[in-house]
Amino acid sequence: MAAMKKIVAGIAVIAVVAAAGAGIWAWRTVDTARNAGADDTVALAAFTSTDEAAIARGEYVMRTADCAACHTQGAGEFAGGYEIHTDFGTLVSSNITPDPETGIGAMTERAFFDAVRNGQGSEGLLYPAMPYTAYAKLTDQDMHDLWAYMSTVEPVSNEIDETAGMAFPYNQRLAMLGWNMLYFDKAAFDGDAEGDDRGRYLVDAGGHCSSCHTPRNGLGAEIAENYLQGAKVDGWYAPEITSNPHVGLGESSAEEVAEYLGTGTDGKAMASGPMAEAVAHSLQYLSDDDLLAMSSYLKSVPGSGVTAPAKADLGSPAMTRAALRYEVNCSACHGTRGDGMGDLVPAFDGNHALLSDDPTDLVRVMLTGARAAHTEAKPTGGGMPSFAWKFDDAQIAEVLTYIRNAWSNAGTPVEPATVAAARATLDAREKLAEGY
Amino acid sequence: MNRREALFSLGAIAATGAAADGARAREMHGYPADMTVDPEMLPRSVIPGGQMRVLTDDADRRTVTAVFDRLIPADDLGPSASEAGCVDFLDAQLAGRFGEGAALYREKPLQQNADDLMQTAQFIATPRERYAAGLKALDAYAQETDGAAFADLQPNRQDEILKGMEDGTISLGEEIHTKAFFELMLQNAREGYFSDPIYGGNRDMAGWKLIGFPGARYDFRLYADRTGEKLDLEPVSLIPKD
Repeated sequence: MAAMKKIVAGIAVIAVVAAAGAGIWAWRTVDTARNAGADDTVALAAFTSTDEAAIARGEYVMRTADCAACHTQGAGEFAGGYEIHTDFGTLVSSNITPDPETGIGAMTERAFFDAVRNGQGSEGLLYPAMPYTAYAKLTDQDMHDLWAYMSTVEPVSNEIDETAGMAFPYNQRLAMLGWNMLYFDKAAFDGDAEGDDRGRYLVDAGGHCSSCHTPRNGLGAEIAENYLQGAKVDGWYAPEITSNPHVGLGESSAEEVAEYLGTGTDGKAMASGPMAEAVAHSLQYLSDDDLLAMSSYLKSVPGSGVTAPAKADLGSPAMTRAALRYEVNCSACHGTRGDGMGDLVPAFDGNHALLSDDPTDLVRVMLTGARAAHTEAKPTGGGMPSFAWKFDDAQIAEVLTYIRNAWSNAGTPVEPATVAAARATLDAREKLAEGY
Repeated sequence: MNRREALFSLGAIAATGAAADGARAREMHGYPADMTVDPEMLPRSVIPGGQMRVLTDDADRRTVTAVFDRLIPADDLGPSASEAGCVDFLDAQLAGRFGEGAALYREKPLQQNADDLMQTAQFIATPRERYAAGLKALDAYAQETDGAAFADLQPNRQDEILKGMEDGTISLGEEIHTKAFFELMLQNAREGYFSDPIYGGNRDMAGWKLIGFPGARYDFRLYADRTGEKLDLEPVSLIPKD
């Protein structure tokens, strides 16, 4: 209820703020003067760049920003239709091909800049599910190149109603004016995007890592003081990716993190779920230098204060049962010492992605199974089968607590109620009846 | 995903690989994303002591119980076949695809010399039908020779009849391949006693404890080099109780 009150109070604030929309604050929020360098005369449908170098650079910018992940869904490259489930309703991604009727063919370069960097689209204000909050940091050069690339995309006619799944008041695009006034920092990137600050630039601008890995407040705005410290997102938990040694990247080398980003695994942790998509669609296309710049920056980000808890008592009856369960069901692939199988199966011993206080991902993977990222470098994306049919909630909770505390690990216990809730939410099947 | 889709997706993976041109990065398509287990592939649990589905006739059930408990009687080493749930196991098997003879070739006509050609007895009848006819015939034989139901005979008399069925000296009638029926019951009693408890028999893993079988374990690397040692591995069911 507290969260609901917060939201209602927030809406009231937005309403009041929006009512004062003529104010200077609002004017400053919607002002896009920094995009003045973009052409405002030629529509995308009437333009195809011939600058091969710019097109190639723009494709790379598109990869860093992972546009295809959300704007491609069955109807053709960049033709939109991908559903994004938010706490406020379902948004559908737009068609960003140069089709003049259903895509962005009528946009000029200036309108494109306004949309991507300022969240001002052709149909009104965009929702921050489109990470313009991050893309605001994209440099003019990258934006010009991206425009050149988009001009080479095949137009696809695919009508999208982006807000059909949003109920009042969240379907009011103008409400985003209030949201932007409160939360949108439209300032340009404040460092050397091609030099010393390349890693931070890729993480914060195109990479929009914080969109998933930073927790949000009741109105869906990222909480700055918890930057990259882990957050729930669409039924998954995007773990902390800061220097924190217990649940973050502190114990991994920058090279290991870069390998994970570029291939899907560093031989210990393994990307699955939404991160597997980010690796497959976006990160595997990045250069080694860029990946290393990103991982080096992430390892420099101040972490949360989360520390390792006291190790669970592995001699307890529950952990003794769990150890046998691990040996019988898990060890064939994950190793009798939790050492995994290189690039094929994640290791558990010393895998800090396992140790977050929030066990959402582990519970989910046990219940529904998971498919690891598959990339050109490491094409054999391993598969974890579902164990929902074989174990009840307490059995899953115990074996997860075991892997979080065996070997050199220490993690908070997983509660059976957490597994029960996930089983219901994920619509996973119940355990089969025992035969005796 | 059905088999057809799986084959198509494998083909797609192969095609992706064949098109490799040295690119650093490429999106791979066609991996099956759904990792839940197809319900068709899951075992069907049987809870002992439940409602019979095929052996619904009291006399039939008493007869097969008596036969099973002579084949595997209770003793110091463990429970009898029926105490270990073998009748529940048999009923579940007869109710399903085994009972239907789903894996058997049963097209008519049956050649006169089919048994010789195949070097084993051949049947058009399903195992379910063979039990129905066989158990009635066995009970009728006992009534005729001893004036009592097979289940009510003394154990040593029951053993005599079973031995006669096994060595071919007793015939339960024209319609029954007596020796083959005995062998079918022996096979099913053994299967019930030693199959995973989820199928109704081997209750409390009595059969596995008897012979020291460690159950549905996947990996023995921890023990592979401990040769000549008594390991006393706790047996594990496919659907573990704890």
